[in-house]
Amino acid sequence: MHNDPQYDTECSRRDEMERRKFLKKMALASSASLMMSEPRRLFASTNNEQNTPPAATADSCILLWMGGGMAAPDTFDPKRYLPFEKGLAVEKILSTFPAIDTVVDNIKLTAGLENIARIMDRATLVRSHVQPDLGHILHSRHQYHWHTGYVPPQTVAAPHIGAWMSKVLGPNNPVIPPFINIGQQIEGNGESEELKAFTTAGFFGSEFGPFNLSRPMEAARAVRPPEGMQTDRFNRRYRFYKKLLGESPQSEFASEFQQQSMLRSIDNAHRLLGSKDKQAFDLTLEPKKSFEAYNTGHFGQGCLLARRLVEAGARFIEVTTEYVPFLHWDTHENGHTTAARMKQTIDRPVAQLILDLERLGRLDRTLVVLASEFSRDMIIEGVPGSTAKDQSRANVDQLQEIRHYGLHRHFTGGTSVLFFGGGMQRGRLYGETAPERPCVATVNPLTITDLHATIFTAMGISPQTAFEVERRPFYATPDGVGKPVMELFA
Amino acid sequence: MARFHAAAGFPGTGVEGNASKSYKSGVCYAGCLDTLAVSPEPGRWLVVLNRLGVADIKQVVRQGRVLIYNENAREQIMIHRLGPRKPGGKLLPTCRAGVLIACAVGCWLADDVSLSAGTVDFAHDVVPLLKKHCVECHGGRESKGGFSFNTRELVMGSEVISADQTNESRMIELVLSEDPEAQMPPRDRPRLAAAEVQLLRAWIDQGLAWEPGFSFAPQHYEPPLLPRRPELPPAIDGRDHPVDRIVDHYLALHKVPRPAPVNDGQFMRRLYLDLIGLPPSTDALIAFVADSSYDKREALVERVLKMREPYATHWLSFWNDLLRNDYSGPGFIDAGRKQITSWLYESLLHNMPYDQFVRELISTSPRSEGFIRGIKWRGNVNASQKRDIQFSQNITQVFLGINMKCASCHDSFIDRWTLEETYSLAAVYATEDLELHRCDKPLGRMAAAAWIFPELGEIDPSAPQSERLEQLAVLMIHPDNGRLQRTIVNRLWHRLMGHGIVHPIDTMHTPPWSADLLDFLGVHLTENNYDLKRVIHLIVTSSAYQSESQRLDQQPGVNEYLYGGPLARRMTAEQFLDTLWSITGTWPEPDKLAFMADSRQQGGQLKEILLLLRPGAFDPDADKLSADGTAQKLSRPEVYERWRVRWRDRPVRAAFRPLDPFQASLGRPSRDQVVSSRPSQVTTLEAIALSNDPYLAELFVRGAANVLDLHHGPSEALIERIFLAALSRQPTPVEKDLAVDLIGPEPSTQAVEDLLWSIVMLPEFQWIR
Repeated sequence: MHNDPQYDTECSRRDEMERRKFLKKMALASSASLMMSEPRRLFASTNNEQNTPPAATADSCILLWMGGGMAAPDTFDPKRYLPFEKGLAVEKILSTFPAIDTVVDNIKLTAGLENIARIMDRATLVRSHVQPDLGHILHSRHQYHWHTGYVPPQTVAAPHIGAWMSKVLGPNNPVIPPFINIGQQIEGNGESEELKAFTTAGFFGSEFGPFNLSRPMEAARAVRPPEGMQTDRFNRRYRFYKKLLGESPQSEFASEFQQQSMLRSIDNAHRLLGSKDKQAFDLTLEPKKSFEAYNTGHFGQGCLLARRLVEAGARFIEVTTEYVPFLHWDTHENGHTTAARMKQTIDRPVAQLILDLERLGRLDRTLVVLASEFSRDMIIEGVPGSTAKDQSRANVDQLQEIRHYGLHRHFTGGTSVLFFGGGMQRGRLYGETAPERPCVATVNPLTITDLHATIFTAMGISPQTAFEVERRPFYATPDGVGKPVMELFA
Repeated sequence: MARFHAAAGFPGTGVEGNASKSYKSGVCYAGCLDTLAVSPEPGRWLVVLNRLGVADIKQVVRQGRVLIYNENAREQIMIHRLGPRKPGGKLLPTCRAGVLIACAVGCWLADDVSLSAGTVDFAHDVVPLLKKHCVECHGGRESKGGFSFNTRELVMGSEVISADQTNESRMIELVLSEDPEAQMPPRDRPRLAAAEVQLLRAWIDQGLAWEPGFSFAPQHYEPPLLPRRPELPPAIDGRDHPVDRIVDHYLALHKVPRPAPVNDGQFMRRLYLDLIGLPPSTDALIAFVADSSYDKREALVERVLKMREPYATHWLSFWNDLLRNDYSGPGFIDAGRKQITSWLYESLLHNMPYDQFVRELISTSPRSEGFIRGIKWRGNVNASQKRDIQFSQNITQVFLGINMKCASCHDSFIDRWTLEETYSLAAVYATEDLELHRCDKPLGRMAAAAWIFPELGEIDPSAPQSERLEQLAVLMIHPDNGRLQRTIVNRLWHRLMGHGIVHPIDTMHTPPWSADLLDFLGVHLTENNYDLKRVIHLIVTSSAYQSESQRLDQQPGVNEYLYGGPLARRMTAEQFLDTLWSITGTWPEPDKLAFMADSRQQGGQLKEILLLLRPGAFDPDADKLSADGTAQKLSRPEVYERWRVRWRDRPVRAAFRPLDPFQASLGRPSRDQVVSSRPSQVTTLEAIALSNDPYLAELFVRGAANVLDLHHGPSEALIERIFLAALSRQPTPVEKDLAVDLIGPEPSTQAVEDLLWSIVMLPEFQWIR
């Protein structure tokens, strides 16, 4: 130790006594809720919904994200079908798959979704979800809007809806991070910066941010000791650390609130890394038969991981088909072939997830939402009359080759959303799009704001929930105006 | 069939007509107007329900929108025209009364709307209405007739409004009254429009919703604008440093005990991390502690401030956050954003005077223009996020500690700034007519360039943009603009002492805990030729800085802070990584993008910095001669290799690296917004990363090997070196015993790895105190 005699005076020791008295007094005077840097929860002066949260119908939420714009007419909202034929005028095309029956009389889906068709009696299908015209159609902006409820850019960093749940509700099981994000590789993506902008807890701070598991098979690694470190060494290291901490000459600061919070976090981390619950992350522990029922690739594995994590007590999980510019649902060309492949990817695992949750008795309290940032159309970019730039890469008037066949433009006028469980109705169809182009929502248009209000309400969060950030109110739905669609609830 | 009629409150409207809306059939009819008629065209209209908020129908029509008010649902329907006009689809200046505006197919509801809307929005609907008609006499300092709208409590406690009893509500009675003596507003003022009465009714019906904490009462505190040189109180106990004279006086006044001084090692670690972002080397530390000269601390401060490169690199992160500068990120995708890295690094390297620094950021050169240009976002953007408005928000936040974000949508609730002022400042930058928008709705007024402190001077709105910006820059650095000085010295105090003199630091409309201290530092800046290093010097040479940190068992509330010494500051992501890399010798290799920017102009930062440090170091565009004498371009790997060689063994510090998930998890922000402080809490997700992140784990593996490589001798000596390097102190005997137990007499790499990890995870390592 480098004690400097020059400063070590009698006086300072006396001061130290005074200081402690003062600090004690001050600690009493300060209010725990009035944090300087943390956003402060706001309560309305009138006695309204903002102060009394709705009764939750779900404890967990799984968002199955169809990143890139899933074409409703080729999936959950079949229209007139025309098979591929050379010379066919593209303006005639609405659906590129025939309709199939489901177990619910008035609900048809498109071919390729046979497994989901068999469980539609557990679903609420919304066909009238609409998105605003943001001018130039850019996936990341619409995804930002869908995930945060706010149109980018914003003057403060808006939190993802998973972060709202994490912040307002906290974890179901204290060792499992409340917001888990599965399947999106962010680094290396052509729009990585844009993805980061909404894959965040924003002003809530990273405590409420996503635990990113980009590859489900590697999820177990995220909660294991580092590669090459055996568990006993990992535990020994932690024990040593605790001892060292206990002997720290700075132990007088141990009660400091920031230091307390750090030590709590380190304890939390080690609780997870050392707990049995962490096995939920390990897909190799799943029986082979069950694993194979899900295994259509990353997305299917992600659904399985989501199921295991819900069982372990996760609060909010997003599983994405992964957004990569021009890949997967982002069909700027070759839409039909790609949609067929994507349906193969999602059909089995989604159905299996619902059936498993039901079998485990968890479907009633788990809200599963399947959604996409917008739909697609063969002709229209945006909505009718929009000035959005045409981005099709198969820009022809008549089909010449299979590459031209499919829905290649971004359509924001009518999108399908599926709900399962979590207090939603079963076998219910809500909203409708026009039978002919433009297939815009004609019955019960449902905005992102109200869709979010519905999801938040199911989770027991008032859409008017507000926090103060930079001394302004910031609401769970913009301006707190989101209205849940109560008729969707069972 | 719903019945619509044009909102009677708007000039040129008021004729009723029938309308229907039916979404089922895909056909929508929505209202009629007598002053204009619209020829419907399939798919060319968009129906939007919206809240009240557009002031002038002429403006609305000019914008290609029609506004209709639905009496039944207290909703307003706005029709936007989409796309360019086509013959037959245009707005006609004259009209056929009673023509239905019909949308054939293609009718669709935009997102910011709710069909069941009708809930009154206090902030966006009620406040503007009350401001327009009422609060001039019944708000702020006025309360004519003993009635004030200032707070909800005042309104509720009056007899003018009783919630739940609309019909009997005295306010509605007065507003509707024909009695010239009783009516409100008084007879010499315009009456409320029918729609406004409806709104008022709805507000009362819905229980007088109020924004928590909102008041029409003026802010109590208006900070002074002019600089002020405070008289220094007499020194106590011979502590005659100006900062200490003020602070000691404060402590005595508030009966707060004076914090104990820190020892040399602690001081040196604190100083190094604060000024250059790195801990002292073991040798420098030992030498400093052994030095017996009485002025060694001051000499050390001088020495550290002269470390040009480390200083510039450390403060680069501070300014990158504030000036929203990064090497990659949102916005680059569309060439909608420009780096100022080269200009900024050079300014820091040469310690550019702050007035010149500000001037060059406002009245720009191509190298510095990236800041005021903001980010151009693709597609339609909320009016408050257009580049002109970003300009207004960013320069006021960064240079003046003013939050103009509120006032970008409506007059601010939290301080005195108005929408008009935000737009006037934006108009200094705007190159096209800039129309005021309240909450994204056009107001029909154009903004004229103006400066927010007219007492210092004016801007000529008719001058061209470059002149306007120069005029603004001159006003901003006007010697009488004490706000500029106070804002920056407050940021520096906050950075070095853990808490602002004014806090939060972006809200300079908050009373300082010591006006004398704030004002003294401000004057010190100007009197020293705006030299920021002199302000830093002044702060760190004070006993206040060199004293033990204050321990707070709870975070103090907004008005509860009492200065009692510096607060411990958590290492930034950059300080953490730089420290770890330096004590383990595991500096990263420069990445390719850092030398060779991509097509979006992301990256290239190391190249720019190297060219500043070694002008003309390398010209990658120069051809190389091949053996046969013909010129050939260098390949990309060759270019990279040459840059790397010229970079030599300079450390690639975290500030130079693009944002990665690990730095993000340690709190480095995505710089698409101005950020002035970093998170102070270690989160669970972060703690998981610190425990098992593969990159970090690998650093410990390599680091332990490096440490062992350099070590010969007993374990005790190794442990001492690690403690000295990481914590700038010797281990205590107990710590040494524990560590020896762990690593044994012949330490393995794994054991040293675990020791390193454990030390790095100590709060003592991660907090600067």
